[in-house]
Amino acid sequence: MTLFHFGNCFALAYCPYFITYKCSGLSEYSAFWRCVQAGATYVLVQLCKMLFLATFFPTWEGPSGGYDLVGVRGGGKGEHRILVAAMGWATAELLTSRCVPLWVGARGIEFDWRHVQMGLDSNISLVRHVAAAALLWASGRHDLPPKLRVPLGGLLVGVAYEGFLTGWAAQALSLGPWGALGVRAVGAALLGLGALRLLVPLLPPT
Amino acid sequence: MLEEAGEVLESVLKASCLPLSFLLFVPAVLLLLGPPPAAEAAHESTVYRMQQYELGGQPYGTRSAVLNTEARTVEADVLSRRCVMMRLVDFSYEQYQKALRQSAGAVVIILPRSISSVPQDVVKQFMEIEPEMLAMETIVPVYFAVEDDELLSIYEQTRAASASQGSASAAEVLLHTATANGFQMVTSGAQSKAIHDWLIPSVEGRLTGLGGEDLPTVVIVAHYDSFGVAPWLSHGADSNGSGVSVLLELARLFSRLYTYRRTHAGYNLLFFASGGGKFNYQGTKRWLEDNLDHTDSSLLQDNVAFVLCLDTLGRGNSLHLHVSKPPKEGTLQHAFLRELEMVVASQFPEVKFSMVHKKINLAEDILAWEHERFAIRRLPAFTISHLESHRDSLRNSIMDRRSQVDTKALTQEYQDHCGGFDEGHLQPNREGSTCRSADLHGSDADPGGAARISDGLAEQSAQAAQLIDKDSTFLSTLEYYMGRYLKDVKQHHVKADKRDPEFVFYDQLKQVMNAYRVKPAIFDLLLAVCIAAYLGVAYVAVQNFGLLYRMIQRLSLKTKQQ
Repeated sequence: MTLFHFGNCFALAYCPYFITYKCSGLSEYSAFWRCVQAGATYVLVQLCKMLFLATFFPTWEGPSGGYDLVGVRGGGKGEHRILVAAMGWATAELLTSRCVPLWVGARGIEFDWRHVQMGLDSNISLVRHVAAAALLWASGRHDLPPKLRVPLGGLLVGVAYEGFLTGWAAQALSLGPWGALGVRAVGAALLGLGALRLLVPLLPPT
Repeated sequence: MLEEAGEVLESVLKASCLPLSFLLFVPAVLLLLGPPPAAEAAHESTVYRMQQYELGGQPYGTRSAVLNTEARTVEADVLSRRCVMMRLVDFSYEQYQKALRQSAGAVVIILPRSISSVPQDVVKQFMEIEPEMLAMETIVPVYFAVEDDELLSIYEQTRAASASQGSASAAEVLLHTATANGFQMVTSGAQSKAIHDWLIPSVEGRLTGLGGEDLPTVVIVAHYDSFGVAPWLSHGADSNGSGVSVLLELARLFSRLYTYRRTHAGYNLLFFASGGGKFNYQGTKRWLEDNLDHTDSSLLQDNVAFVLCLDTLGRGNSLHLHVSKPPKEGTLQHAFLRELEMVVASQFPEVKFSMVHKKINLAEDILAWEHERFAIRRLPAFTISHLESHRDSLRNSIMDRRSQVDTKALTQEYQDHCGGFDEGHLQPNREGSTCRSADLHGSDADPGGAARISDGLAEQSAQAAQLIDKDSTFLSTLEYYMGRYLKDVKQHHVKADKRDPEFVFYDQLKQVMNAYRVKPAIFDLLLAVCIAAYLGVAYVAVQNFGLLYRMIQRLSLKTKQQ
C-alpha cells in the first residue's frame, strides 16, 4: 500500500505506548532511562532464550510460548517500578519484533489486514506486559495475603502461557485472525483485571 | 519416584523458583505447539506478452512491456490507465477495441488451461482476431495468462467490484471500498527493447544422386518456425510442425532408398529447414542469396528440377498444390503434378486434390507462400498444403496445438508425397524402383513415423522465431535428425542489417505477473479516522484508569468485609 498506510499502522501500534507513558506520570519521574534499561534487559534475556532454544531444540520453528520473567528492578514506588518494567519490555518487544515487519509489509504494494492486526496486537501486548510486571512484582512481596498466593501462581502461569493458550484456543475453535485477536484481547483483559485485584492490598490506598 | 516428582512439582509451583519452572515447562509446551499459519502471499503467474516486432520498417503488436496498474474487467465504467482483464470465452474484438480506445493501461487475456475445451466457434473467432490485434497500433502491453484457480478467483472478484460500481449510494460505495479487494497487477521485467544482433538459423542437408556431375536437383523446403499472437504460446503444430515432420520423414525414407543401388535415383536431393518463415521467409531469402549470388558452385545454381515447399499438412482431407505459374507440359514439375494426381486418385480416393494458381504480388509486404521466394529467383517451385488460401488464419495462430493435428491425415498426406515423389522422379529407372518403393511403403513407412518426430518437435512447446537461436534445443534436435539421414548438414544464419533492418525482434516476451491485493486511497483515509477514534478512546481510558482501580478496590473491600 502507501506510506500513509504504514503511518496508520504505525500510529495504531505506537500511540498507546506514548499515551501510557505520558498519562501514567512516568514522564514526570524522568523514568525514560530506566525504561531503556528494562528494555535492554528484556532484549538480553530474549537473546539468551533464543540461544538456549537453538542449542537444545534446533528444529523448533514455532512461536516462543513461554514468557521470560525478569525481576522487576529499580527503586521507587511500586506502581512506578511496575510501569517502568512493563514499558521497557513492551517497547523492546515492539521495536525488535514488530518494527521491521511493519516497515517492510505495510509499505509494500499488497494490502493485508495483518498489519492492522499487528498494531492492535501490540496494544494487547502492552496490557499483558503491564499485568506480567505487576504479578511478578507482587510475587516478590512478602506482605501479600497468603490466600492470594494460589491465584497469583495461577495468574503467573497464565501470563507465561498466554500466547500459547490463546493461540491454541483460537485454533481449536477455528477462528480467523480477527477471532484470534479477540481471544487475545479477552485473555489480556482477564489477566489485567486479575493483576489489578492482587495489587489492591499491596499498594497504598488512594 | 512419584514422591520425588511431586516434590519437584511442588517446588516448581512455588513462586520463588519461577525461572526453574519455565526451564521445565517451556520446552514441553513448545513441542506441543504447531507451526504458525503460512503467510498469505501475492498471487504469481507466468504471463506471455503479445508479439512485438518490426518487419520491413513496419511495427507490429504491442510496443510496451511494463505493467503496473490496477485490474478491472470490461464491465467497469472507467478503464483508463487500468489493467483490463478478459477471458477468452467471452472475449470479443469490440470489447478489446473499447478497452484500448478508453486508453486502458494494459490488457490481460486469460486463456483456458486446454484449448481443446473451448468451443470451436470461439477458437475460430479468436483466430480471425489475432492478425487484427497484431496489425492494430497498441501502445500498452498486452499479456496472455493461462488460467488457474487463483487467477480465476481474482478475475471474479475484480468483475464483482467492477460491476457494482455503477449505481450505488455513497454509503454503499464507502462500505464497498472497505470490504472489496482491488488487485494491482505488476510485472517484474523491464521495458522491452530491440534485439539487434538476433540470428535466425536454418539447417540444410543433402543426398547425392547416383552417377555424373551435373545431375538435376530436387529441393525440399519447410520452414520450422511457428507464429501466433504471443510467441511463447505459438506451438505451430500444424503450421509448420507438420511440414517439418514430413520433411524429416522424407529425408529418412530417401536416405534408405539412396543406400541401395537399384533405388538410387539420378537426382540430388537438397533438404532445407528454414527459419524466419513467418517473417517473410527470411531464412530462405538469405539462403538463396548466399547460394546464388555469393558462391561459385552450388546445387541451387544449375539444373534445379523443382523446389517443393511443405506448409501446413497436418489436417483435413484435401491437398492443394500452390503454384505461381502453372507448370508447362513436358517439364519435371508437370510430371510431378501428374504423378501426385495419379497417386492420390489410385491410393487415397477420399483426398481432394487440386492445383491453386496465384500470381506473385510484389506490391504486398509479405509473400504468400514460401515457393514465391524461389519463384522470384526463377527457380521452378510450388507449395503443398491442405490450406486453400495463404490467408488462412490457422497459419498464424496460437490455437494451433498438437491436439488439433490429425495424425492420420498427416501420415496419409506424407504417404501421398512419398508416392508422388518417388514415382515422379525416379522415372529414369522406374521399372526397378516402383516395386522397391512399394516395399518401403509397406514396411518402413509406419504410420507413427512422422507423428513421432512431430511429437518430439511439438513437445518443445513454442517455436516462434524469436525463441529459437542457434543453441536452442529445438534446433539441435532438428540438426540431429537431419544429420542422421543426410550428409553435409550445416546451419545458415540470418542477421538483420544494422542500418536498415528487415526485421527487428523485441525481448521481454515472457514475464512473471504478481497480483497484489490493494485498497483505494479513500480506504486509507477511512482507516485513519477509525484509528484516530480508537486512540482517542484509549487516551480517555488511560486518563481515567483511576476509576477502574477504585472500583476494584471497593469490590475487594466488600468481599473482605463479608
